[in-house]
Amino acid sequence: MTTSLLEYFFINTFFVLLVSPLFMGLIKKVKAHMQGRRGPPLLQMYYQLLKLFKKETVVSLNSSFVTLIAPYINIIFMLAASLCVPLVFIPTANFGFGNVILFLYLMVMAKIFMAFGGLDAGSSFGGMGSSREMTISAIFEPVVIIVVSALAFVLKTFNIHEMFAATLVGPSLTNAALVLTGVALFIILITETSRVPVDNPETHLELTMVHEAMILESSGPNLALMELSHAIKNTLLMAMLINILIPWGLAVTLTPISWLIGMLAFLFKGIVLAVIMGVFESVTAKSRLFGLRTFFILAFSLAFVTIMFELLV
Amino acid sequence: MLLFAIGVGLCLLSALVTLCFVSRNNPQVRKAALWLTIAAGLIFIFQSVRIALTDQSLNYTFTQIAPQLQFTFLIDRLAAFFILIVSIVTVTVAIYSLRYVEVSTSGTRRNLFIPLMNIFILSMLFFVASANSFAQLLCWELMSLSSFILVMYHYEKEETRKTGIFYFIMTQMSTIFLMLGFILMYNATGSFAIAASPFLTAGTNTLIFIFLFCGFGIKAGIIPFHKWLPYAHSSSPSNISALMSGVMIKVAIYGMVRYVIFVLDPQLWWGILILIAGTISALLGVIYALKEHDIKRLLAYHSIENIGIILIGLGLYIIFDSYGLSDLAFLSLAASLFHTLNHAIFKSLLFLTAGSVVEETGTRDIEKMGGLVKTMPFTAALFLIGALSISALPPFNGFVSELMIFQAFFSAFSIPNPYVVILLIICLSLFALTSALAAACFVKAFGIIFLAMPRSEKAQHAHEVPRAMLIGPGILAFLCIGLGVFSFQIFGWLGFKPPMPNLLWVFLTLIIFLIPTLIVMRKTTGGKIRRSGTWSCGLPAPDSQTEYTASGFSEPILTFFKPIYKTDKILIRNFWDKYDSTFKNGQAEIKVMKIFEERIYMPIANCVRYLSQKVSGAQNVDLDTFILYSFITVIILVLAVGWIL
Repeated sequence: MTTSLLEYFFINTFFVLLVSPLFMGLIKKVKAHMQGRRGPPLLQMYYQLLKLFKKETVVSLNSSFVTLIAPYINIIFMLAASLCVPLVFIPTANFGFGNVILFLYLMVMAKIFMAFGGLDAGSSFGGMGSSREMTISAIFEPVVIIVVSALAFVLKTFNIHEMFAATLVGPSLTNAALVLTGVALFIILITETSRVPVDNPETHLELTMVHEAMILESSGPNLALMELSHAIKNTLLMAMLINILIPWGLAVTLTPISWLIGMLAFLFKGIVLAVIMGVFESVTAKSRLFGLRTFFILAFSLAFVTIMFELLV
Repeated sequence: MLLFAIGVGLCLLSALVTLCFVSRNNPQVRKAALWLTIAAGLIFIFQSVRIALTDQSLNYTFTQIAPQLQFTFLIDRLAAFFILIVSIVTVTVAIYSLRYVEVSTSGTRRNLFIPLMNIFILSMLFFVASANSFAQLLCWELMSLSSFILVMYHYEKEETRKTGIFYFIMTQMSTIFLMLGFILMYNATGSFAIAASPFLTAGTNTLIFIFLFCGFGIKAGIIPFHKWLPYAHSSSPSNISALMSGVMIKVAIYGMVRYVIFVLDPQLWWGILILIAGTISALLGVIYALKEHDIKRLLAYHSIENIGIILIGLGLYIIFDSYGLSDLAFLSLAASLFHTLNHAIFKSLLFLTAGSVVEETGTRDIEKMGGLVKTMPFTAALFLIGALSISALPPFNGFVSELMIFQAFFSAFSIPNPYVVILLIICLSLFALTSALAAACFVKAFGIIFLAMPRSEKAQHAHEVPRAMLIGPGILAFLCIGLGVFSFQIFGWLGFKPPMPNLLWVFLTLIIFLIPTLIVMRKTTGGKIRRSGTWSCGLPAPDSQTEYTASGFSEPILTFFKPIYKTDKILIRNFWDKYDSTFKNGQAEIKVMKIFEERIYMPIANCVRYLSQKVSGAQNVDLDTFILYSFITVIILVLAVGWIL
């Protein structure tokens, strides 16, 4: 391992842990403003996590070791996935982290354990959430893969680090194919982070909830880990979109100044995207579960058009 | 070669020992015989690993039966690889059987079990090792027959008998196709040797391919030839299901790989055909698995899915190869073969653990299970590892082979023909769908079988299985992790460098992340956990009635894929009065159509029956008519011979 890698390892992990709750809070805040409320403070999620870590863990009588390991699996796999997506700077070597399939499947692993956790307590809420989550993710998977293959095709690599390096030097916003894929990536971001129109993160009503239903039985530090890993997932997918379309500021050199610039640039871009997400969520209506097809097909066709476009030009 | 002979000898000895004591019910003899099989398996593993690593093939001629006919064995790297697959599964299944044979059934019938299993294993080994299509056909037939008898093990059940006959017909059809292919090849080349032959004309080449594809396809369970698989796997004993699904269908894959790559001259359209057949098998296999609530049938449908994935790799190999993209072709073939090994391992693991569960709960219906993680924690953990591997999750082995296939697909754009690229992209998206649906299906399988509360009396009183029934699957689970984590290194030892991430790093990183998480959690909770009842909206005490069911779990997916299942809702309502206003009684039924049975198998069967009735009508006549038949035959023969000469 080179020093660049070790530094990447620490900086990327700490940065993602640091900013993830902020973006979640910001989206909530924007939504509250759109609804004419004042909303929770911007740093609410940090307080919430701190509080949850102090609370006791309560698990269901029916649950098994699966419930106990699910939060650990969630957080460690999500952190491992976070190494695939450079937020601040691109290391010179990536020892295989950054493979886009690896990135996706590390996140699926976290999702699957969340679904097991939902089933473990034996309540019908959890089962319902798991069932819906797995359905959505199954139906959505072809979309994700096609978008990723379009990216791999346009940027001629299936390593996320190299993708970002390619967009950093090449034209990104002027490349029509990339912009089309960007829209598809936004749809992936919305779907994978369980937002309207796919899921409603606010509600605890059994008819509408998916993600929240699965973690309904979690409590205390376990819940904190679950929420944190969800926030990390949100940040990672945001970073995918941001660094493909507007990678400016992403550092390639190893000076503290360039890191600082990279962090600030990402923070700024992230805030803009979080505001867009909040506005989008406020103006969109929750879709029926079986009505989601149309939403997914939109993303699928965008990616497919990208591929056709590149194939013919 | 000597070691191989010793291994074969041990297997035969094991068969013989039990046959000598066939009428006595002596567990010690059975145990000794199984240990012999285990020893033989270990020898095979040692030898095949050596051949695979050193790349030195073994060549041996056994006996010369006739001038053109001899039993020749050639164990090259490919054959050694498949022998390795056979022997790994053999060893673990034999360890599992040490106890399974004792607990699952009773009586002296068990004594027949071990010789049959040994013959079954040997026939598969010889099929893979023989360098001669005639010997191969013999082994194929032996394999079919021994597996048929093993499927019929519980012959007293009506269901098993029906299944057995169906399985038998399908295996014989496969043999007929193979025979046709082999005869054609003999005609063209004048020898039974399995070797590339330049004499094949394009027409014969294609015809042989079609025959062999059908022959091996039936055995491998490619859709639409798949119907025997779920039936045969569900009614046979679990260790046999593991062998059949883990190994037997792989032998068919071996045949396909061997003939398509080493003997025949592959064309682009073969690759496309195999790719499409593979994609359809993979997708429909998993879609049918989702609606299945019989645990062993569910696993059998997943075998169809995984055979599809293996074929996708093979198809990609041929496609890339015909465009001269040798790196990508190699990647696809490596993916295909690696997935063959991986599937053998995790599917045997799943079948063995499922067998333990079925043994303990006395049912194959997953709706009657539940909560087993508390009573059978080790079996649950083993099944979980298998489920994660088959769902292609990192860092398990199933992930690596699927990753390689994904990468091969992603490189589709190097192909100059845009139509082929579009086909590949469509197959890619369907493959992605397959992989995600498999994950959903195994969340259902593990969640419903092992988690939450028991759904039946028997599930409540299940207990952990004996140690041998854990060690066998345990070895496989260990391999699932090992082959995944060290995949990069293993390919390195074999001298290949496929472009894939080093999962050892990923694994170490996961551990590095785990340590601080554990410390933080320890600091905050102090390891204390309070247990309390599940919140259920104020209902007094949630019981198994309020849990989510397997049908409920897969319902949204079934709704999405309604056109494929062709679900039929039958609603009959009777009323007291003629105005249909007072409801009397009614009946509602949701039926999932068995498309392949109703639309393909039954029409063919009915057609055959009709024809044979016609023929038998012509047969039951008096002597004069028979003489007339002979007379007409002779005249036709004379004319035909005269015309040809």
